[in-house]
Amino acid sequence: MSVAAIGADAHGHVDQLYVETRELRLQGFLLFLISDCVLFSSFIFAYLYLRNSGQGWPPPGIQRLDVAFAAWNSVVLFGSGATMHYALENFKHGNFMKYMRFLLATIVLGAGFLGGQAYEYNHLIFGEHVTWWGSGIFGASFFTLTGMHGLHVFLGVCYLTVLVLQSAAGVYTKGKFFGITAGTLYWHFVDVIWVVLFSIFYLI
Amino acid sequence: MAVAAVHSGGIAEHIHPEPQGFVRRYVFSLDHKIIGIQYIITAFVFFMLSGLLAEAIRTQLLNPNGGFVAPGTYNEVYSVHGSAMVWLVIIPLLTGGFGNLVFPLQIGARDVAFPWLNMLSFWIFPVAGLMLFSSFLMGAPTAGWMEYPPISLQGAAGTSMWCAAIFLVGVSSTITGINFVVTILKMRAPGMTFTRMPLFVWGQFATAPLLMIATTALAAALAALFIERQFGVPFFDPTKGGSPVMWQHMFWFYSHPAVYIMILPAFGIISEVLPTFARKPVFGYKLIAFSSMAIALLGFMVWAHHMFTSGLAPFLQLPFMILTYIIGVPTGIKIFSWTATLFGGKIHYSTAMLFAIGFIGLFTIGGITGIFLAAIPFDLHVHGTYFIVAHLHYVLVGGSLMGVFAGMYYWFPKMSGRLLNETLGKIHFWLFFIGFNCTFLPMHWLGMLGMPREVATYDPQFTFWNRFESVASYLMTFAILIFFVNVLWSIRNGRRSGPNPWGARTLEWQIPSPPHYYNFKHIPTVYGLPYDFSQPLPYKGLEEELTDSPPPVAAGVH
Repeated sequence: MSVAAIGADAHGHVDQLYVETRELRLQGFLLFLISDCVLFSSFIFAYLYLRNSGQGWPPPGIQRLDVAFAAWNSVVLFGSGATMHYALENFKHGNFMKYMRFLLATIVLGAGFLGGQAYEYNHLIFGEHVTWWGSGIFGASFFTLTGMHGLHVFLGVCYLTVLVLQSAAGVYTKGKFFGITAGTLYWHFVDVIWVVLFSIFYLI
Repeated sequence: MAVAAVHSGGIAEHIHPEPQGFVRRYVFSLDHKIIGIQYIITAFVFFMLSGLLAEAIRTQLLNPNGGFVAPGTYNEVYSVHGSAMVWLVIIPLLTGGFGNLVFPLQIGARDVAFPWLNMLSFWIFPVAGLMLFSSFLMGAPTAGWMEYPPISLQGAAGTSMWCAAIFLVGVSSTITGINFVVTILKMRAPGMTFTRMPLFVWGQFATAPLLMIATTALAAALAALFIERQFGVPFFDPTKGGSPVMWQHMFWFYSHPAVYIMILPAFGIISEVLPTFARKPVFGYKLIAFSSMAIALLGFMVWAHHMFTSGLAPFLQLPFMILTYIIGVPTGIKIFSWTATLFGGKIHYSTAMLFAIGFIGLFTIGGITGIFLAAIPFDLHVHGTYFIVAHLHYVLVGGSLMGVFAGMYYWFPKMSGRLLNETLGKIHFWLFFIGFNCTFLPMHWLGMLGMPREVATYDPQFTFWNRFESVASYLMTFAILIFFVNVLWSIRNGRRSGPNPWGARTLEWQIPSPPHYYNFKHIPTVYGLPYDFSQPLPYKGLEEELTDSPPPVAAGVH
């Protein structure tokens, strides 16, 4: 099946107001993602600044983070990025059931990532007694940044769930599906942030 | 994109239905003009409050031993004064206020790209302002508007309230920034290419990305400070491994661009007022436009010049010094372009023009002392003294606030349909200009003699100039009272202005004052720059704007 023109209804008539409104929203949403990116960058700067403040890393008394577990968890999140991509592509090509399956898979993988993060937090807090407020700059930077990212994933999962309900109710049509595009962009954004966080917390 | 992407039947022709009832029309309005006026009124209310705080500061400094307020209270007073003036007065006036009011008209749009976000952005602002002033009830912040740790970590509960309030103002600014960028990129009338945009639009176009990007960086710093104060999570406390200098980096990475947020729109206002009242094309249109963008870009690379005494490595200090000098180049280009605009012009000394000319002089003083301060050895000498206070007030009052007043006298007819009284206006200008200079000029030498800022008492040898400044500051306050009287009187009794009292050529003057809720009956087509005073107007499609022809039909949904 082919991709329908943006803003077209079932008869092929293009709704010019929708097309231009969509363009505005798309740009506005991208700018929102840029400013969100700056928020993360600021905290990442803070983390790198503190990390290089001469106390050694990880600070004395704290174990290195478990790379293997986080790596598997990352695979789960990146996998959800792939399923989200296929969800959008299938929607554009009119494969509604495939779209729904990929969207649900994304939600499951996103929730799985959050579960993995909860397991990791649990292990750190109760196993190694590393806390947000009691473990110096390590706890402060690690829990703030990964927690902020986790919150973004959580909000994303909530949003995708709303997408499922809306799609089931027939809100989105072949020509008008900005909500799905925005969700996809947001989900990829969260993925990319995780690439950076994984590199700077676990790999280096 | 050479020509604005607007087509008939699309967003450009879209009109909201006429708002019905007082609440929809004036309180929760979607109309950018009403939102702009809401911003201006709210910001002027906060301006009065933080002006009172400024007078409390000056009254305290009448005597070397103070005695007007307790030293602890004095710290609260100047901290809230600075924060409120920056975040609740200057930034909202210039971006949310004049930005909303004027630039959508100037690009020939019917509204901004996201009217609902615009309304949200406005309504966050008074809430945040009340939160900031409510911090007095629980012990206001005491570390100045910069709130450096560790003092801000030790401050009373009001410091956390300060964090929350400024965070919220930041959210409001970010939304405004996104809204303005998209509006300028996408909503320009047909034919209004980038190099045909009025210079006020260029000022907003340079400012909006700063609002969007820099403010989020501040949000991170504020969130970290809030978390540290409320939950003891160490970011800035050196006894727990944190770094107070890191706050300075995060804060100034926002607050230096914020300096340009506070001045670039004022540059835009001046660039509109000068050619209109000199009856001459603006000199160096492209230079003024592109130097704004250069300033916005360079503004992100100079933040550490605020931190020369913070123990930064010397090899880091030097590039910041040099980059700061470089930022003087685009600023100088503007000053010379404005002066050249005046040269040989048929100058009409209206109040708006007086403020604009005053702006050039005072901003030049503020800018040149900025170049002084960029020199590391000089900065080491005067850091933390009244020289800094003098410099920043010359930029923010002599620059931004003079720009605001020029804009008020210039665009008040467009807001209300009536002119502000010129006689009162000229009294306002001269008293304000003299009062301002007598207040802040002596601070230069007091600072060079070593009088420290942010201290409730001072060495008795500085008594004369401090009393001189305090008396002059009362004169300045009196001048501002005259301005408020002028506004309140003129709104009912001012002379009716008609659509274009100044003979200005930008689009907002080609439609009635105040404009209809739909701005334009037909979206005009633009054929050239708005500053060629000898030529016919470069617009087509405006024939019906001043006639009694029926308004356009509301169409579409939003």
